Amino acid sequence: MDGAVPLFSMQGISKRYGGVRALEKAELSVTAGSIHAILGENGAGKSTLIKVMAGVVAPDEGRMLLDGSEVSFASPAAANRAGIVCIFQELSLIPELSVADNIVISDPPKRFGLIDRKAQRRIAEEALARAGASDIHPLALVKDLPLSRRQMVEIAKALARKPRILILDEATSALTATDVAKIFGVLKRLREEGLALLYISHRMNEIAELADQCTVFRNGRNVASYAAGSKSDSEVVELMIGREYSHIFPPKPARHGAAVPVLEARNLCWTDRLDNVSLTVGAGEVVGLGGLDGQGQRELLLAFFGVLRGLAGEILVDGKAVSIASPSAARDGRIGMALIPEDRKTEGLMLPMTVRENLSFAALDRLSKAGVIDRATEQRLIDDMVELLAIKTAGLDIPVGALSGGNQQKVVIAKWLMRQPRIVLLNDPTRGIDVGTKQELYQLMRKLADAGAAILFYSTDYDELIGCCDRVLVLYDGAVKRELVGAEITEHALIASALNIHGEGAGPLQGEGA
Amino acid sequence: MSDTTLIGGIAGRMPKFLRRADPAVVTAFACIVLLLLVGSLYSRSFLSPEYLLQQLKVASFLGVIATGMMLVILLGQIDLSVPWSVAVGAMMACAAAAYGPLGSVLAIPFGIVCGIAIGVVNGIGVAYLRIPSMIITLATNAVAQGLMVVYTGGFSPQDSATPAMRYLATGFAIPAVPNAVIIWALIGAAMVFLLTRTGFGRAVYGIGNRERAAYLSGIDTRRVVMVAFAVSGGLSAFGGVLLAGYASKAAQSMGDAYLLPSIAAVVLGGTSILGGRGSYLGTVAGVILITLLQSILSVMQMPEAGRQIVYGVVIVVMLLLYGRAPASR
Repeated sequence: MDGAVPLFSMQGISKRYGGVRALEKAELSVTAGSIHAILGENGAGKSTLIKVMAGVVAPDEGRMLLDGSEVSFASPAAANRAGIVCIFQELSLIPELSVADNIVISDPPKRFGLIDRKAQRRIAEEALARAGASDIHPLALVKDLPLSRRQMVEIAKALARKPRILILDEATSALTATDVAKIFGVLKRLREEGLALLYISHRMNEIAELADQCTVFRNGRNVASYAAGSKSDSEVVELMIGREYSHIFPPKPARHGAAVPVLEARNLCWTDRLDNVSLTVGAGEVVGLGGLDGQGQRELLLAFFGVLRGLAGEILVDGKAVSIASPSAARDGRIGMALIPEDRKTEGLMLPMTVRENLSFAALDRLSKAGVIDRATEQRLIDDMVELLAIKTAGLDIPVGALSGGNQQKVVIAKWLMRQPRIVLLNDPTRGIDVGTKQELYQLMRKLADAGAAILFYSTDYDELIGCCDRVLVLYDGAVKRELVGAEITEHALIASALNIHGEGAGPLQGEGA
Repeated sequence: MSDTTLIGGIAGRMPKFLRRADPAVVTAFACIVLLLLVGSLYSRSFLSPEYLLQQLKVASFLGVIATGMMLVILLGQIDLSVPWSVAVGAMMACAAAAYGPLGSVLAIPFGIVCGIAIGVVNGIGVAYLRIPSMIITLATNAVAQGLMVVYTGGFSPQDSATPAMRYLATGFAIPAVPNAVIIWALIGAAMVFLLTRTGFGRAVYGIGNRERAAYLSGIDTRRVVMVAFAVSGGLSAFGGVLLAGYASKAAQSMGDAYLLPSIAAVVLGGTSILGGRGSYLGTVAGVILITLLQSILSVMQMPEAGRQIVYGVVIVVMLLLYGRAPASR
């Protein structure tokens, strides 16, 4: 810190969501006129930290000091007034309005209670010029701008609020290399102007180019702060991992030769989210999908399940090309596919409906004769599933929403196991559930594979990929960048390939140039 | 979840059979009893079996129409094409009756098929073309109206109902029990069976609660939505057929009086207007409640304008009384 008085500091900030702790006594201090990078794995607490700073969530404990005096923000507007402005990952622009409208949307200049369009345009022009995007016309509609231009408008919008601290959360993830270079120029100029910038990115090369100061987060704590350039890539990755293993994973069986392929994809492409993905999952295999969050893993699972329209490429089941037009085609007996979706509350379950109705919902066609549900068969299958998965519920006729998160997830899995699927796609199934239930799910997954199922498993938790998978495919920008087999699956390799650092991470940085 | 525990706490102090019932259904039945008691203060005849049976008969027309409406509301949609689906059913059945003996035989099925056709158009619009149900059903209602005006030349049609239609609406197959009531009971029983025992019924509740989850469970959600609208159109038309039998002929705008009551009956019976929750018993209670209310207001010889005001206010008050359903999302 070179003895400089921090502009803003956070001390002992903690935040819990239910039983999950997102931040645990986290500390951070930001100095004016510098760019501070924050690093960490998925779920390390970075996003929560920013949300606390920007007034989106209130911390459970801890203090925040601005210019040495304690502050607390009741809302994002309060944080804005104090000079803290955040550019979030998702674009927050309204497509149907003009650029100028969007820039001043939270506090438009007024005359006689009506919006002063001249003043509005002037403010927008100033802000755009400051963001280095004076080529954008303030009266253009946002929906007519390409994504990279919109990101510039987003930055201009933040600057129009006259921030002292500007937070960029993955602000460059949607941009091309030239746009990134342009934005970097703007950020460096803002630094000269005395702003404090907080920069969050998964792209190591960007951080190396831009940051003055780095802080690494892990498990909701800041584990290290260092001046940029003082640590090697490999050391940074170590800092980001540095976690104990617990032996909660079932042993993997030894492999003898290649498994019989059950599910195959050839050159799958979908809009700009999937880029020529080819993969094979064999009978009895657990194949993991790794990489940073949002690199196309979810879209890939949905593509297999027949949800995406306009998918290019081929899907093969048992070596034969199939066309899967909808989930009902995917679950059909000949394909026998099941998808455990990403969000159990909106995609997996009908929360107000009973446990019974939810459990048999995906298998109703099998339980019915001429459309009428055979209640005896339904009861028998439900009892089997409740026993097999040890679902803890006060009864079958209570709303499934009353169950704990882990048991809800078991219901989602049970409803698909009732169809005895041959291909199981899992989309981050252990998110937000307790360790005990996680362990049961790992064992179940291995049991299904041993019984001959082909399993494709996406997880944001690297430990799980290491502990459960026979092979892991690492995705980056919608494409498979690397395949790790058996002993190659280490946390180091996973993180290095997720960040798309070539080699084993020990060598010098080679940016892939976005 | 705090709402759920609150309701659980209150329910815990109630007798067991009440605890299992939906509070909205219990409230609706309590209101029916209350209305009868208030009415009996006015005139003793409100509690006579003749009056009650007469009311039940009047209620069965609304009951048949509200059955279809309930199916659509359970999906989280709405069917505003009820008024002219009713009129189309009535007019087309009467029109068929004018074509000799074969026409008389086919009159009832023909009326219903015309209603189903309107429902299928609604269903295709909502399920496949993704048009909001409020818009497409309003549009088909207008089209149906236009077609009927073209057909009749703007006057009430001269064709009259067939004897079979009159028998269904006014006859007595079982002594003392009007046929219309028996028909409502049969349709109601079929709907209860459909909703509770079949995969289709489960799918309807599933889609109403969370269409995305139902779709990802492999349900053909579009087909379910379309069938539900077709059933609604068919039942509206059947209600029209019965009404034509009751009045011996069809009339312009005979269905207008059934749109708000059919929606109100379903919602007063505890079915969530957002879909996914509700029982047929509640709809039965709602239908009877609304019919009684209309009857009592007219017996009290309140002028038409006043009746409309009281009727509307009572519906709003009752909906408030139920409290907004606790959101379980």
